[in-house]
Amino acid sequence: MTARSDRPGKALSLGLKHLAYLIIAFIFVLPLWWAIVSSLRPNSAIFADIFPFTPKALLPAPFTLEAYGGIFERGFGLIIANTMLVALVTMAAGLIVNGAAGFAFAMFDFKGKKFILSAIIISFMLPFEAIALPLYTVTQQLGWLDNIAALIVPSVANGLAVFLFYQFFSQVPKDYAEAARLDGVSWIDILLRIYVPLSLPTCISAALLLFIFQWEAFLWPLLAMPSQQFKVIQVGMAAFQQQYQTIWNQLFAVSVITALIPIALLLPLQRYYVQGLAGAGIKG
Amino acid sequence: MFRSRTPVLLIAALLAPALIGLVVFRLYPVALAVSDSFFNIVRGQQVFVGFDNYLSLLSDRTFWKSMQVTFWFNLLINPIQIALALGLALLYVQQFRGVTLYRVLFLIPIGVSLPTAVIIWRIMLTQDGLVNGLIGIAGVPAQPWLTSESLALYSIIAIATWKGISYWMIFIIGGLQTISPEIYDAARLDGVKPWQRLIFITIPLLRPTLLFVLVADVSINFLLFAPIFMLTQGGPADSTNVLMYEAYKSGFIFGDMGRAMAIIVVVVAILLIIVAAQFKLLSGREARQ
Repeated sequence: MTARSDRPGKALSLGLKHLAYLIIAFIFVLPLWWAIVSSLRPNSAIFADIFPFTPKALLPAPFTLEAYGGIFERGFGLIIANTMLVALVTMAAGLIVNGAAGFAFAMFDFKGKKFILSAIIISFMLPFEAIALPLYTVTQQLGWLDNIAALIVPSVANGLAVFLFYQFFSQVPKDYAEAARLDGVSWIDILLRIYVPLSLPTCISAALLLFIFQWEAFLWPLLAMPSQQFKVIQVGMAAFQQQYQTIWNQLFAVSVITALIPIALLLPLQRYYVQGLAGAGIKG
Repeated sequence: MFRSRTPVLLIAALLAPALIGLVVFRLYPVALAVSDSFFNIVRGQQVFVGFDNYLSLLSDRTFWKSMQVTFWFNLLINPIQIALALGLALLYVQQFRGVTLYRVLFLIPIGVSLPTAVIIWRIMLTQDGLVNGLIGIAGVPAQPWLTSESLALYSIIAIATWKGISYWMIFIIGGLQTISPEIYDAARLDGVKPWQRLIFITIPLLRPTLLFVLVADVSINFLLFAPIFMLTQGGPADSTNVLMYEAYKSGFIFGDMGRAMAIIVVVVAILLIIVAAQFKLLSGREARQ
């Protein structure tokens, strides 16, 4: 009897659960969904069906791709390529530089190791915004203003990425390296042949971290590229917003492309991203 | 034995690029901010002015108003974000059929950059935008979300929260995964109610993770810049003029780098004090137990 009265109760609570999750998911998805829908409408129809609100406001009708054509005519193709270049070079260089440092911290004992490691961890707790203004002066001294190096080089060394690699390499049993050393294998070979292949998941976490950091960079490219000859996506988008306040469908199209590229990377790789960051939070 | 053959050159080569990067692009700028705050630019010349930039901040009304806005903003946004991130993490780790789809949807704001979120929300929050349309269903009149002195700061809090909580959720999920399920099983057998489990088991065991999230979240929100720059430029009537934006304005609009650096130094110093206090208060309690 208890089993029978339980069943509708369970179904009801499962139903309520789905409802609660749906409402929250709706809040998370709504802005992006509305942006996608609006980017597929003609500009004159952006605010249609809102007053009074009808569900038609959330459907791409009337449908047109003119907004996407429009933004490429305004040069957003080049801006996307620029950002890709900056993000991919930072990612590749960052994997090598931070991976090497993480390996050194994990494998060797040396004087001041603890101190240097905590300095690195603190450096990643301090957000980039805190040093953006003085970094502008440093860049000026180096003569790198308006140079693409100003966007890439300061972002390559990344405390969080060093920490991710350090944490991973510390967990690998030292026996591997010791056995290989006794066989006369050089450290470089040990790193490249044993540790790098093992660390693939960490490489993916760190790569995503570096890529997304650059893809989302806004304040720094705004300061470091005063003439804006070389535009990256977030700055290009903000400038577009200020210049063409009312070409909403194109503004939405830019936003959608800006958001969908990292999302397309994150969704299939979310497991690595979540595991990497979650692990860093526990030990950090 | 392993240690005696430490290859010093190799270690130096492996560490050098990362360390040079961190020193030149992190530590040196901090030192530079401190030293620049003691100078003013007069007719293109750097002139040493000692503590003048700091002293004039003391009697600077705009600065104090901005300080007030920054603190009020942070007193609201940080607890809200952490509480919501914790709630979201608890939902994320539930196991039932179909939860995977919700999990993916919860992660979407991570892929949406803050400037993108700001642009989309700005249009959603205009007078005839989607948000006013939706509240119109319930008969609520349209609100001037971003252009009214009493609402703009809260709208920015809402946008930053929408964007931020998925990211903080990830760290809390990591913390939740370290709590062994047996503790919950035992509690359930003892008849402990779900909300009691949350307050007496989950939150205390999550303390290290929550401390990390608190410190990292406060650091980001204390220095938040992009939404204010893009949405309100500190207005209306300075109601969203946080210290970071005041510093930017000072340096890049009014060309007063000395004052800008002094503000940055003050902001970072306050932030460090807050972070140190959080560590002391929160990890101290843990040691006593």
